[in-house]
Amino acid sequence: MDLLKTIFSYILDLGASVFVPAVMLLIGIFVKMKFKNALSAAITLGVAFLGMNLVIGFMLDALTPAAQALAERTGIELTAVDGGWTTAASLSWAWPYAFLLFPIQLVINGVMLLLNKTKTLNVDLWNVWGKIFTAVLIYGVTGSMYIALIGSAIVVVLELVFADLNQKQIETLTNIPGVTSSHNFFLIGTLLMPIDWLLRKFKVFNKEMDASALKDKIGIFAENHVMGFIIGFLLGLAAGYSVADSLILSMQAAAALTLFPMVAKLFMQALSPLSEAINDYMKKRFKDREIFIGLDWPILAGSSEAWVVMTILVPITLFFAFILPGNAVLPFAGILNIGLAVPALIVTGGNLLRMLVICTITTPVFLYAATYFADIMTNLAHSTKAVELEAGQQITWSTVEYPAFRYILTELGSFSMVGIGLAVVWALGFILYRKEMLKRTEELKAEK
Amino acid sequence: MKKVIVACGSGVATSQTVASKVKSILEEKGVRASVEAVDIKSLDQYIKTSDVYISITKNTKEYDIPTLNGIAFLTGMGMEEETQKLLDALK
Repeated sequence: MDLLKTIFSYILDLGASVFVPAVMLLIGIFVKMKFKNALSAAITLGVAFLGMNLVIGFMLDALTPAAQALAERTGIELTAVDGGWTTAASLSWAWPYAFLLFPIQLVINGVMLLLNKTKTLNVDLWNVWGKIFTAVLIYGVTGSMYIALIGSAIVVVLELVFADLNQKQIETLTNIPGVTSSHNFFLIGTLLMPIDWLLRKFKVFNKEMDASALKDKIGIFAENHVMGFIIGFLLGLAAGYSVADSLILSMQAAAALTLFPMVAKLFMQALSPLSEAINDYMKKRFKDREIFIGLDWPILAGSSEAWVVMTILVPITLFFAFILPGNAVLPFAGILNIGLAVPALIVTGGNLLRMLVICTITTPVFLYAATYFADIMTNLAHSTKAVELEAGQQITWSTVEYPAFRYILTELGSFSMVGIGLAVVWALGFILYRKEMLKRTEELKAEK
Repeated sequence: MKKVIVACGSGVATSQTVASKVKSILEEKGVRASVEAVDIKSLDQYIKTSDVYISITKNTKEYDIPTLNGIAFLTGMGMEEETQKLLDALK
């Protein structure tokens, strides 16, 4: 037993780029993958970690001096650099207990299907990382692995409940029958629905607008390289750089934003044989039931409304970051707020104007949560060695998904009164959400 | 070599899932083609240099190259049909 422990901690000490692939290789062998495939997947995973480390390091080297110059010049301290969801995912997979979330998700989903508590079979195993990330945050605050896993188990249950409630609306928006999205970011609906409910009372907010023409015009600003270039240039100017230095910074920023998804793709490449094997098993197991297949959010990526809102939110998020007192986040790699715009699309049923208002009002919640979680993410980077940070460098995710609920879970995990109070408010929001979505489902069915 | 692209919201997860699956199907059938996951935001650029587009969203535009239903590869429903279309397009 001691020997096993020694080997385990020896490998753990080598850091995420060796430890997690080792776990992956063992799991691959355990689920009877061919050895060469398991080995290839494991090494790809290690490459993904090192690749992310390179890009994050490149980004920080470019942005940190600019952020410091900005602070000296204006007194605005934006010290926590936003590495986006790809950085958050990289840190999540690096957590030593990350893979435990696979069986937790599968067992909860299976039991809920058998007990008829859900109709959704979640085959989206990529977003297991979101639940790992939730666990990581709770672990960072409470220091208890059990509480962390219970917290993420709650998210697993709720994402299925939301997937059921959203199914008809998603089917209407995508024209794909029998499918829903079981992404965990829809949990933010409880925060958005009360605002939507209020706005709907005013006539002006019920006007339909055509988003696709607008998307054709401004869509280019949401493309990674163009967006990175512009943000880099603006940051350079704000930091008092010369035009020449600002141009260099903007090209570096464009490079970082373009490379992030290219590298993050390697995570999925490594995980897809495993995810396919689990998928086939689950689908076979529940073949004879009427179920909704729960997929990742991009089935909704055809929506012009979502892209228009995300694009317009970019300058708004930057503006808030500069003026909000207490904000420490420098929005960058995660600035496209997918986890806000897509749930708002569902909540409003695709009303552009209401989406814009709701998303603008709630953007500060994301920045404050990202400020609050920056220490935990930075500590995790140090302890797992997944991302090498220099002293004083801080990393975060400006558009951390369902920020309020994640904060509530960390507070509940510490058994604080604030946590209990906020959980009650959240439950009230959920009751409204459920009522509204059930009503909408009936309406959409009647229209057909 | 012919080029197949799959697009999703960021070109990372869903598109890569479908791309990996399609790649292994093509390998099984002995068809040589490159399969790449791309970012839907830059789709118009990628379309120009590709031969087949596998979509996982409702399309608002018509494209000049054959467009297939990628959802079939995710859910398994109608997958054989889409695979056949893909093989025909790559002939």
